[in-house]
Amino acid sequence: MPHGVIDSPAMTSDEQLLLSRAAAGDAGALEGLMGRYSARVYRLAYGITRNQADAEEIVQDVFLQMVLKGASFEGRSAVGSWIYRVTTNVALNKRRGKRREVETPLDDCLPTFKADGHREGPRALLVADWSQRPDAELLSGEARRILEEAIDRLPEHYRAVLILRDVEELSNEEVADIVGDSVPAVKTRLHRARMALRELLTRRLGAEAR
Amino acid sequence: MTCRELIAVLDDYLDGRLERDEVAALERHLAECEACRAYLATYRKTRALGARVGRVEIPDEMKTRLRRFLRERVG
Repeated sequence: MPHGVIDSPAMTSDEQLLLSRAAAGDAGALEGLMGRYSARVYRLAYGITRNQADAEEIVQDVFLQMVLKGASFEGRSAVGSWIYRVTTNVALNKRRGKRREVETPLDDCLPTFKADGHREGPRALLVADWSQRPDAELLSGEARRILEEAIDRLPEHYRAVLILRDVEELSNEEVADIVGDSVPAVKTRLHRARMALRELLTRRLGAEAR
Repeated sequence: MTCRELIAVLDDYLDGRLERDEVAALERHLAECEACRAYLATYRKTRALGARVGRVEIPDEMKTRLRRFLRERVG
């Protein structure tokens, strides 16, 4: 279950102090901000763009915004929440117009059903279960490459909710707030992303499991 | 419950958000349907693997460049 790791609802005085000192060029405060937030900004930026150079530019952009605009927060929202929102927006904007050929129309990866509600497809693939393969095996070598490729093929706004929910362990409500969508819309997007990822993995790994 | 109905509520099932009677119906279907058992197992594994792969670390040299970038613009 997600535990919601966004900071308290409003900015703490500690964060306000850190931001104002960082804006004045205090090296210790900049270091403090980096220590608190650089890892999560990078995870989200890389998770959406899947490109290290793009992720680096986003991290720099988000931190610069944080330092320059920090004083205007006025405690209205948690810094953590603001950072996720800005990072998501900057990353999605950066990806706009850069849609890579490897991305797959999601509908091609979703389960289809017969009129009676049973799934369609070759039975061998329908019952293929590769889940018992050890994580160490799935996260290395050829299986890891297949997994990375499957993630690459998801549209970026699907990757955004996957990272926020499954990696950052935010709640559906927190993710909806960050991406500016309704909770049902976020749940639908997540489910479609997970189904598509599962399908892409099963097409490749399932053949070996049979 | 059909396969289509089961797959539609998988996330809610895994997150413990279904009512008790819905869980019972889903688990009755699972007991009879090998394809849905495989779907559930691989769906659950997909969620876990996605989370593991997404936990990337920011490279140290990138942090060094970020530090320099900020000092040049803010200092």
